[in-house]
Amino acid sequence: MTNLNAVDPAAVAEEAHLEGHEVVINKSTIILRRFLRNKTAVAGLIVFVALTIFSFIGGFFTEWDKSKIDPFSIGMAPSSDHFFGTSQAGIDLYAQMVEGTRVSILIGLVVGLVSVLVAAVYGCTMAYFGGKVDKVMLFFLEALIMMPALLVVAVATNGGGGGSFKQALPSWLLLTIVLLVFSWMGTARLIRSMSMSLMSRDFVKAAQFMGVPARRIVWRHLVPNIGSLLVLDITRGVTAAILAEVTFSFIGIGIKVPDVSLGVLIGGATSQVQTYPWMFWVPLGAMFLLTGSLAMMNDGLRDAFDPSSSSVGKAKKKKKSTS
Amino acid sequence: MSRETSPEPSESLPVSAVAASPVGRSTAERLHVAGLHAPGDAVLSVRDLNVRFNSENGVVHAVRGVDFDLLPGKTLGIVGESGSGKSVTSMAIMGLLPETAEVNGSVLLKGKELLGLSDKAMCKYRGKELAMVFQDPLSSLTPVYTVGNQIVEALTVHNPTMSKQAKEVRAAELLGMVGIPSPKDRLKAFPHEFSGGMRQRVMIAIAIANNPRVLIADEPTTALDVTIQAQVLEVLQKAQDETGAAVVMITHDLGVVAGIADDILVMYAGKPVEAGVVDDIYYNPRMPYTMGLLGAVPRVDISEKSSLIPIEGMPPNLVHTPTGCSFAPRCPLAGPECLTGEPPLRKVPGSSAHQAACVKAEALGGDVDVHDIFHAPPVPVSNFAGIPREDRKTVLELRDVKKHFPLMKGALLKRRIGTVKAVDGLSFDIREGECFAIVGESGSGKTTTLLEIMEFHKDQDGEVVIGGLSNKEAADSKTKFAMRKEMQMVFQDPTGALDPRFTVYEVLAEPLVNQGMGKSDIKKRIMELMRLVGLQPDHVNRFPNQFSGGQRQRIGIARALAVNPKLVVLDEPVSALDVSVQAGVINLLDKLRAELGLSYLMVAHDLAVVRHISDRVAVMYLGKIVEVGEVGRVFDNPRHPYTRALLSAIPVPDPEVERNRERIILEGDLPTPLDAPTGCNFVTRCPVYAALPEAKKQKCLTEEPPLEMISASRAAAQLEAETSTALDQRFACFFPDGDLDQSSLVSHASAGPHAP
Repeated sequence: MTNLNAVDPAAVAEEAHLEGHEVVINKSTIILRRFLRNKTAVAGLIVFVALTIFSFIGGFFTEWDKSKIDPFSIGMAPSSDHFFGTSQAGIDLYAQMVEGTRVSILIGLVVGLVSVLVAAVYGCTMAYFGGKVDKVMLFFLEALIMMPALLVVAVATNGGGGGSFKQALPSWLLLTIVLLVFSWMGTARLIRSMSMSLMSRDFVKAAQFMGVPARRIVWRHLVPNIGSLLVLDITRGVTAAILAEVTFSFIGIGIKVPDVSLGVLIGGATSQVQTYPWMFWVPLGAMFLLTGSLAMMNDGLRDAFDPSSSSVGKAKKKKKSTS
Repeated sequence: MSRETSPEPSESLPVSAVAASPVGRSTAERLHVAGLHAPGDAVLSVRDLNVRFNSENGVVHAVRGVDFDLLPGKTLGIVGESGSGKSVTSMAIMGLLPETAEVNGSVLLKGKELLGLSDKAMCKYRGKELAMVFQDPLSSLTPVYTVGNQIVEALTVHNPTMSKQAKEVRAAELLGMVGIPSPKDRLKAFPHEFSGGMRQRVMIAIAIANNPRVLIADEPTTALDVTIQAQVLEVLQKAQDETGAAVVMITHDLGVVAGIADDILVMYAGKPVEAGVVDDIYYNPRMPYTMGLLGAVPRVDISEKSSLIPIEGMPPNLVHTPTGCSFAPRCPLAGPECLTGEPPLRKVPGSSAHQAACVKAEALGGDVDVHDIFHAPPVPVSNFAGIPREDRKTVLELRDVKKHFPLMKGALLKRRIGTVKAVDGLSFDIREGECFAIVGESGSGKTTTLLEIMEFHKDQDGEVVIGGLSNKEAADSKTKFAMRKEMQMVFQDPTGALDPRFTVYEVLAEPLVNQGMGKSDIKKRIMELMRLVGLQPDHVNRFPNQFSGGQRQRIGIARALAVNPKLVVLDEPVSALDVSVQAGVINLLDKLRAELGLSYLMVAHDLAVVRHISDRVAVMYLGKIVEVGEVGRVFDNPRHPYTRALLSAIPVPDPEVERNRERIILEGDLPTPLDAPTGCNFVTRCPVYAALPEAKKQKCLTEEPPLEMISASRAAAQLEAETSTALDQRFACFFPDGDLDQSSLVSHASAGPHAP
């Protein structure tokens, strides 16, 4: 009766004030604006999307596929028949590129996304419970970091004990799983320390004092609040996964023929740089485009999410044009 | 290079000579009083300063036309809420704004233009002619260099020819000047070995190292405790006396500047709205905003129970140029004439230097009742008001609660080197409808006490009883769940306490979902809560960052009330808010307590707020209660020397009172818990102890004073004879009415800034 009446008109006025003047801009809008302002990042995004589209529908523009041999054009340079030329065996490089790019992007996206998700849940849980749980989980994490990933990849993909494994799964999926196991630890540690600082924030304490169960606090309060870091880590993780795939395939322990990936194509063509240069340069260029575009995007995303970034508002340009 | 340096030697000497000589000073003063002084007399003269920033929303016009003249040796207080452009003004003067900021106008230092100088050219002035003391002493010193090193650095930059020995001697002299004991040895100390107050002293020492003409202090005491604040203000004044510098004091606290400023500039929305001599502003304000600010501050020295004056709404958005008076949307007196054109600063009739930017300035004389203008709500009366305390139910009881932390040392093999007694045997109870406040400096264990209560764990040392549930008897999850329904908490920082990714609806729904409430019930309850705390119910879909600080704190209060608790724990509920907003939240808390029959347990360092809202108060020092009792009794008749010192350290927004008040300045800081004294905790800083004869001192040193009811002191016996019931006041001191050590008493009665 007393204060309520006194407050309401002001609140109404305030609302009019807020809505009338667009004081409040959605955070996502700000992030999008900042991202779009960074021309390099936008270019990166366009290149990446274009490559992805190419890898999925590029197959419709040619009659060849990755296993079909053209006996009349063996080791041919790029022509209208074979856009990127053919290999020593007469297989169309364009068809191989479509397939290889798709496999590489697929591995990158799956590994990048899933590993960051695993890292987020693992890191947040560690930070939330602290104490003994944290110690045990941290030990497991460090043990994984110590493990020689290269050897495990080699053993897993080359048969070794897992012969049946290899038959059941396509080689790209096997590689994805192995990469996943070894790619989330660094991020998890980073997220652990970030969450620890979040834990000391009052809203987590408030939830605890309200009696909200632990898993709900982790999922509802901690994970969303490190969202911007997660987005950055996903793009970084995708790049890392693509590079890892290329590396492993290049040294012959990743994707196995007949499966094709950018790494396999580059690895297979190293001996033919002089004789069939297109076999080497075309997949290499594709790889550069792929990782390069991601790096460019990452830069823009970091600027967009970083609240202390020097990215000034749109006002800057306006001012210049008027004065 | 040569162009800039050549005029300097010819100019700097005569001006400083004039400033120092008494003749020059009085001339300046006479002109100032007559309002005729030319800008040439002023050391610093700012004209039409404008600062613009670019943001996502557009150009923010943060400072819009600030004018002032600062005369040598004078103190100018710039007062305003956060976002009013005070700090930006000071940064613009210092040339410390980022390059993206657009600064126009003119800043003349001794007649030389500072705006537009390159960073390199500014370096010649910064630290030499212009010096600055920043708000946060913890981050303004470099942690990897010794304090001495940093003072010497300040000297080296501007006196490259000074010898090493001379610089060291000067550094020690400076440290001694700001009151740091054994300055020579302390030169080798690192910043982390100093407490916050000591670091702020070091900052002041660095600032005055080169005898600056202008010292800008940007909220120099906001981050400090009241007792330390009193010390630092004292040092600042001393530094001003020593160097004869003019001081610009930027603050939001009207109390701080009341005692030390000569002139006040009130800023609102980037514009000065009232300017004048300190007495004019405090006793004869002409701008409704100034009146509101003065009425919004609770007073520690007055027990009168009236509601505070809330200034509704929030400051305007400076992206859009106000078409009318910028305060009009919040002003209760605003009429149509206020909406056409921004009123300029105009002279108030009857006073030479007093200016106000209000069209109604002439009509608002000194006899206007501010409570009427701002429609201060009536004081709410609780249902429990008539019931005596003993007959009310106990909501919370603490019995001998202790929290000791072991202090470990060693990297590999940890060994215990001591105990930190954060909370040491606390007992108190809170009855229904009562507000119990715990006050004390930081480090006294207030917050630890709250956390101990919120933890509610079986293994705690001591017993916590909440609404009849004891932590000893049944600390299973069911009891805990029931306890969470009885008690909720409101946090200090309203921004940190709300998850930025939750809408208000989600924030308020969380405790309700947790209690297993149905969806439609939740919705109904949330609407109810929003109305209860004075927010628009249709704001539930907004995010916390779309609200102002005061509104966020209202959301925090609504969340605490969601499950209908009996007891609400308030951890510094208003300390993060601006004064005008603070008044609204305090009024809301008062109203809720009366309407819902709530009990509050409040932790606060602002004694004025405590006096306003609390029924009972406990003063804590080093984990122990040193004095507890009914708020009026403790504040009007403090018995423990610590309480006396604490109360005397609080600045009052009344220049007359401030000038004539005797202050007890406590020596030093809280002792580290490691070398806590064995007898009375307070012995190291106690002004009574210092004045005691040797024979009596022994008692303080060896025995621990118990918390006792008022005993056979003569004054108390007299009072007790008058009242039939036992007085609600207990304290822990052997010599409650002992004389104070003269050296710790400071009075400015004779050296008042306006003494003729």
